[in-house]
Amino acid sequence: MGPTPQQVLDVLATIQDPDLGRDVVSLGMIKELDVSPQGKVSFTFELTTPACPVRDRFKTQAQDLVGDIPGVSEVEVRMTANVRPAFMRPKPSEILPGVKQTIAIASGKGGVGKSTVAVNIAAALRKAGAEVGLLDADIYGPSVPAMTGSRSVPEQVNGRLKPIEAHGLKLMSFGHIYPGEQPTIYRGPMVGKAIEAMMVQVDWGRLDYLVIDLPPGTGDASLTLAQAVPLTGVAIVCTPQDVATDIAVKALQMFRKLNVTPLGLIENMSWYVCPSCGHRHEIFSHGGAEAAAQRLGVPFLGAIPLEESIREDADKGTPVVISRPDSAGARAFMEIASQVAARTSIQSFRQLPVINVR
Amino acid sequence: MVIAWEDGHRSTYSAEGLRWACPCAECRGEAGIPGRLARVKHLDPKELRVQDVTLVGQYALQVAFESGHATGLYTFVLLRALCDCAECQARKAAK
Repeated sequence: MGPTPQQVLDVLATIQDPDLGRDVVSLGMIKELDVSPQGKVSFTFELTTPACPVRDRFKTQAQDLVGDIPGVSEVEVRMTANVRPAFMRPKPSEILPGVKQTIAIASGKGGVGKSTVAVNIAAALRKAGAEVGLLDADIYGPSVPAMTGSRSVPEQVNGRLKPIEAHGLKLMSFGHIYPGEQPTIYRGPMVGKAIEAMMVQVDWGRLDYLVIDLPPGTGDASLTLAQAVPLTGVAIVCTPQDVATDIAVKALQMFRKLNVTPLGLIENMSWYVCPSCGHRHEIFSHGGAEAAAQRLGVPFLGAIPLEESIREDADKGTPVVISRPDSAGARAFMEIASQVAARTSIQSFRQLPVINVR
Repeated sequence: MVIAWEDGHRSTYSAEGLRWACPCAECRGEAGIPGRLARVKHLDPKELRVQDVTLVGQYALQVAFESGHATGLYTFVLLRALCDCAECQARKAAK
């Protein structure tokens, strides 16, 4: 005699999701539970993100716990993921209706590697199995086309632009729309309009994640974005030295004022391993972002080394997580993408204000 | 307009009160120059009726009045501060 389905659910309910702070049964993650008379138990374990940092732990835990129930002869756990839309909302949002989660990558200062981080996080989420788009909101200095090796001009279908496809990602950048060396000479309000157009007039389709690469600073682009869409959250990139972390803190506080949840801080160019002597150098200092995150009470999402290969591959148009998945840099990006996805999942359980007009 | 806050508090606002509290640059003034609300004593009845309310990002409400005036973004922080229920009035008086 096999166990009852309730017995199986009872033991699975002892597994807690560390990020969501609740057990996996009440979160609705256990699906298609089947118990055969011979004692074979099979079920689907549906995660909230394919990039779940505790995926393997969940699987072993589930297998061991169910396997220990008397009468169980075999356990089959199918791991899947279904990214849930950010926020419990009564109706789909009018802007970006097919996008479940919008993640902004911002920084205070320029030149800290924000675009590199955005491209690699997007590529890492895609590698984990999610449908991912990347919107380059840097109107003046778009770097996504070069970093993804996509220099084609978007096609227009029924008056809407089709995103550019590269490395399994859907991309849109002002660098695609206006290629070449022509500069974009816009005053502030035009920047806002351009970003809105890239959200509304681009046919993004269905996406689990839309990663948005913001320009540096706390001006028009960031403000437009925070007003136009309920962003799931924002991750702030900075380098470890004081001048960078001080400004990163300003960016973070801006998003806080706009009620956009900070997903956390990412430290880029955290260390450098000299290829000739093997020595580890901390050129821009080390640990500054982690200290700032602690001070501000936001998560620290991880540190990325300064590696020649990251820059080389970005220049060649392939994100390092795809071209050299085993390098220290790529592993750091994968880990950070998992952390971002986990913090994002938490937002699915928050409720946006509901407005009734009578 | 009624807001039910996450902490259970309820605030009620009259359209007239909201109109006179409009935080937009035209109404409040900017760069040291007084705004329209500091200059006028009366507003047209159309100015005092709410037509629509929309959410701005996650931090504010945009209130559109029947006159078409809709440039004011009322942040939730501002709205909470504007609440003048007995409880909130007492707390403000205590400060």
